[in-house]
Amino acid sequence: MSVLVLLSVLGVVLLYLGLFNNRGAVAGVGIAGLLGAFVLIASDWHLESPLFNGIIQFDTYARSFSLVMIVVAVLLFLFGIDYYAKVKENVAEQYALMVFSLTGGLLICSFTNLVVLFLSIEILSIPLYILAGGKRDSFRSGEAAFKYFLQGSYASAFLLMGLALIYGATASFDLAAIEAFSTALAGGQNMIFLLGLFLTIAGVAFKVAAVPFHFWSPDVYEGAPTLITAFMSTVVKTAAFAAFYRLIANLQLPGAVETMLVVMTICTLFLGNIVALRQTQFKRLMAYSSIAHTGFLLLAFLGTDARTPDVLFYYLGTYALATVGLFIVLTLAKRAALGDEHIRIFRGLFRSNPWIAVAALLMLLSLAGIPLTAGFVAKYRVFVLSLTNGYIWTTVLAVLMAVVGIYYYILVVREAFTAQEQETKPIVVAPLNWLVISICGVAVVVLGVMPGLLRM
Amino acid sequence: MIAALLLLIPFLTALVLVSLRPAQARPIALVSSLASLAVVLYAWISYSGGTVIHYNLNWVDAWGLRFVVGYDGVGLLMVILTAVVFPFIIGAGYGQQHDRQATFNGLLLFTQAFLFLVFLAQNALLFYIGYELTLIPVFFLLLFWGGADRRAITVRFFIYTLVGGLSLLFGIVYLLIQSGGNGDFTALTNLSIPASTQVWLFWALFLAFAIKLPIFPFHSWQPETYYMAPLQGTMVLGAVMLKMGLYGVYKLVFPIVPAGVEHWQTTVIVLALIGAVYGGVIAFRQSDFKRLVAFSSMSHVGVLCAGLFAWNAYGISGSFYQAFAHAILVLGMLYIVGAMQERTGTTDMSAMGGLKGHAPRLAALFLLVLVNAVALPLTQSFVGEWLMFAGLWQVSGWLTFFALTTIVIGAIYMLYGYQRVMLGPDRTNVTLADASVRDHIYLVPLIAVTLILGVYPGPILELLDAPVQQLLSSLSVN
Repeated sequence: MSVLVLLSVLGVVLLYLGLFNNRGAVAGVGIAGLLGAFVLIASDWHLESPLFNGIIQFDTYARSFSLVMIVVAVLLFLFGIDYYAKVKENVAEQYALMVFSLTGGLLICSFTNLVVLFLSIEILSIPLYILAGGKRDSFRSGEAAFKYFLQGSYASAFLLMGLALIYGATASFDLAAIEAFSTALAGGQNMIFLLGLFLTIAGVAFKVAAVPFHFWSPDVYEGAPTLITAFMSTVVKTAAFAAFYRLIANLQLPGAVETMLVVMTICTLFLGNIVALRQTQFKRLMAYSSIAHTGFLLLAFLGTDARTPDVLFYYLGTYALATVGLFIVLTLAKRAALGDEHIRIFRGLFRSNPWIAVAALLMLLSLAGIPLTAGFVAKYRVFVLSLTNGYIWTTVLAVLMAVVGIYYYILVVREAFTAQEQETKPIVVAPLNWLVISICGVAVVVLGVMPGLLRM
Repeated sequence: MIAALLLLIPFLTALVLVSLRPAQARPIALVSSLASLAVVLYAWISYSGGTVIHYNLNWVDAWGLRFVVGYDGVGLLMVILTAVVFPFIIGAGYGQQHDRQATFNGLLLFTQAFLFLVFLAQNALLFYIGYELTLIPVFFLLLFWGGADRRAITVRFFIYTLVGGLSLLFGIVYLLIQSGGNGDFTALTNLSIPASTQVWLFWALFLAFAIKLPIFPFHSWQPETYYMAPLQGTMVLGAVMLKMGLYGVYKLVFPIVPAGVEHWQTTVIVLALIGAVYGGVIAFRQSDFKRLVAFSSMSHVGVLCAGLFAWNAYGISGSFYQAFAHAILVLGMLYIVGAMQERTGTTDMSAMGGLKGHAPRLAALFLLVLVNAVALPLTQSFVGEWLMFAGLWQVSGWLTFFALTTIVIGAIYMLYGYQRVMLGPDRTNVTLADASVRDHIYLVPLIAVTLILGVYPGPILELLDAPVQQLLSSLSVN
């Protein structure tokens, strides 16, 4: 309870601070508030559980994912100080909306009632529709916001219909009751329940950008302001996956839904990686790489067992760290290249900023899954999980796709470590950005060498 | 202690070189590699057989990753090989013009540290980690200091190797699940995997090594990469990196999927020999000296792999013995390539000729390196090749005949190459310096090693004998 109150109040306070147009204070208060929320969750202070007649439960699972989201949000706010330095107005609103969205994220990973699932998905998404259009004079940003809103509404409609059907079949919104229903049903057929699950999973799959519900993500990633893109691909993705797993973790899934998940996994792995090969714009590349990682995460969903939540947690946490760092590096390089987003803008990075290039290298290697980085450990654990549960051929495909993944990441590495032919504007790194990039770069190696540090 | 020193000396020196970038990078690197060599020689002297385990620590226990390092005889031979080769690789830099010496030598030492990790690891995952890590410094060596087209070729090399690497990871994960999460080689060796599984698992494990070696038809990354790489990079690739492939087969494939090996033995030998003959024939057609060395390496490696898969005491011992010889040979040949390039400014043989008149001593040194390449009796290669052919003979007479033709082809292209460079009319129209003191310091020890081990192979064969016998007897028990 305490943390929900704190975050909601924080958002409102940030909006008020915006009236004074004091940017430093806004970011400072935002970060302080988030750290406060972190402490509240970590110390378990007034986190009564269950809450509101048992529709919300801040169990270990919910708290772990919440902590990751908050840490990533703090890193993004630190980056925001430099990112919004040149922006004239509405800065406080951006921070406030991110905080509101984060609140939705916290709710979504602690629901035990499907109504909360729907509400929190909306709380998570509606601020994002606004944030995606944050650059009001940019055509692409507006396009991104509109596309996101339109497709997001469809997904919400699917989700709502699905929930209604599930309610129709089970006469309850309570997750435990639905689980009991599915266990009792096991093996039997119930068309309404089945259809309800299909539509619900489709609605959630939209949020995690699983194929074929991914169409929004490349355009939105590209059009949205980079900070918001980073927010979507880390905090929102983490929240959506936490919710997805919470939804299906204890359900006795009917065979048809299992098949749907396997097909979705295969398609996501395949399409995400293959299409990423042809991308030359870094943000689009990251969008497809994000889809590809969704595929690997979905692989962990197949035939879940007791280790799955921990694997998901580790994967999402380390993925978020690497992604945040890379988006910051992108912003800096993009500035120096006057708005260009082609991967060649990284050229000469190693010559001009060796440490930043090395940190970017570590993060890219982590995304690619090279040993001793966290990404390797994450992929490795997913493979172990899916092989243990008998999905040999899907894992073979995933391994092949991991190779494809290495290819497009290594192309970026190659650019960063190739000398620039002609002189361009130097890439300037503000101290705070330097700090965040270093934290991310070092963290992916430390967590790769000592994976025990990041567990639920 | 020995294992810790071997891993830390190159790694820490490399860190210092890369981060502080001292001006005297090469001497520092050289001293570091000599220190490693001293440690290894001490390990060799104090080695008294069996498997020595230096450390046995939990790392991430939950998924079978444990820090177990040590060596048996074969592992020790590989460690010796790595330690012997690196001072020469770093020393070869004295003839090369590079910018950013510190980074360059730092990357070389990183490679050495990771190679030590590969050869010392007694845990499959630790082995895999080392195996993949060696790629990273080499990737940058090629990307920063390679020749024309380096960007495309480097990426191709990287991807090719990682295809194998991930397939290996898949195989290891599969094995780990079978063994209940214990990744130590001892545990994996004791698994009893159904023969039908072994038939496909063999390729999951072997593909990585087939690409690394490389054998036909997984070789297409190799010639261009060897050609494009900076001289010292080619030395790393040819002298030690590919030996990881042989060692991996010995460590991960033979003891764990013996039924798979039995099933595919003939196929692999045939593929390897096709590669050997094919590489030899193409080497003959090359007009570029460095390309000739690249294809000759491919040809030699094919025979190495065939010998290994003969799968008997002669074949396996011969293959590892020859691996050592091949490393020395690659160093010598490539050093000559570098020396020629230094003098004539090219590696194109059609622009050379008649150099013997200018540089008689260099020509003599070249010839002495060359006799090892053609496996003349009393050289190290002769011992290795003889053992391998004896091993192959027990498998099939025809295959042995096929393998023997590579010796003839090898003699032809090597001597033909020598002829084009050293003999005939003088086409360079420049006066060349003869072999300098530096060339002698470099080449004479290599030649000495070749000849001494050619006459007296005992010390190395002793290392190989016990572990190979043990491997084979454990197989016959099963």
